[in-house]
Amino acid sequence: MTDDRLDKLLRKTLQRQEPASADVDRVLKRLAGPLPRQTFALWRLPNVLLDWQFAPAWPRVAALACCAALGFFIGLAGVDRQLSGPNYVAGGGGLGTIVFEPDPLTGGRP
Amino acid sequence: MHDSDGAHSDEALMARVARGDEPAYRLLVRRHLPAMLGLARRILGNAADAEDVAQEAMLRVWTHAPRWQPLAAFRTWLTRVVVNLCLDRKRRAAWVNLDAAGELVDPAPSAGEAAERDERERLLSAAIAELPARQRTAVVLTYSEGMSNAQVAEILETTVSAVETLLIRGKQNLRARLGSVIDKDE
Repeated sequence: MTDDRLDKLLRKTLQRQEPASADVDRVLKRLAGPLPRQTFALWRLPNVLLDWQFAPAWPRVAALACCAALGFFIGLAGVDRQLSGPNYVAGGGGLGTIVFEPDPLTGGRP
Repeated sequence: MHDSDGAHSDEALMARVARGDEPAYRLLVRRHLPAMLGLARRILGNAADAEDVAQEAMLRVWTHAPRWQPLAAFRTWLTRVVVNLCLDRKRRAAWVNLDAAGELVDPAPSAGEAAERDERERLLSAAIAELPARQRTAVVLTYSEGMSNAQVAEILETTVSAVETLLIRGKQNLRARLGSVIDKDE
């Protein structure tokens, strides 16, 4: 059998036949249920914040709000301060204990 | 063609699927399921297994969408998923205990279709079904899907020369199985 003849026969035998619509419908029915959870790649998370699109996107707004809140609390408490330690609020006396120090003790006075 | 027209291109729909857009996913499934089901059936030679593979491939479109990178055409990527699932299934099937496997399934799609076929084509179909999995996949992708050797190589994640070798060996095997039957008609 020549190569051309075999090629022609293969093409004819394997010619593309779409499956019956009943078969397709059966698979579609199986896929109709609730879909599984999508898998996310962790390395793509920063892109959510760096993506400059001004369209409403609640996950992005929520992520930004969380970052802002986290920054606010870190700014209040300081990263080097123990939250539950005795030095958390000086004297524990509320706002009155927050004193503006105009001339901090830096060591060198005139 | 629907694949290339902007907002409804496969790539645009896939970007929406990555954001969890279920209607976009359903649209993609409706568009590609018939072709992928047909491909799986031609590679596996078994309608029930082909349906399982097509379903699994379509679920992977949903679950893998956030990680999908448009490095290749969506269709090529999906074809690769289907082919890999088919090859996995064939590999696993080779280890099935014959006692537990039950009755052998006729590789022809249905008795009605087989009856309509020419005897030579029926024999060729049976011979294709007996080819090793990768040879059969290369033959099906080339002669049924009309893909070039480069496209087949991309899907099988191999080189063009390896695909050529697969095709040559596949055709040699077919000739060895069919030679005495088909040469009589020449």
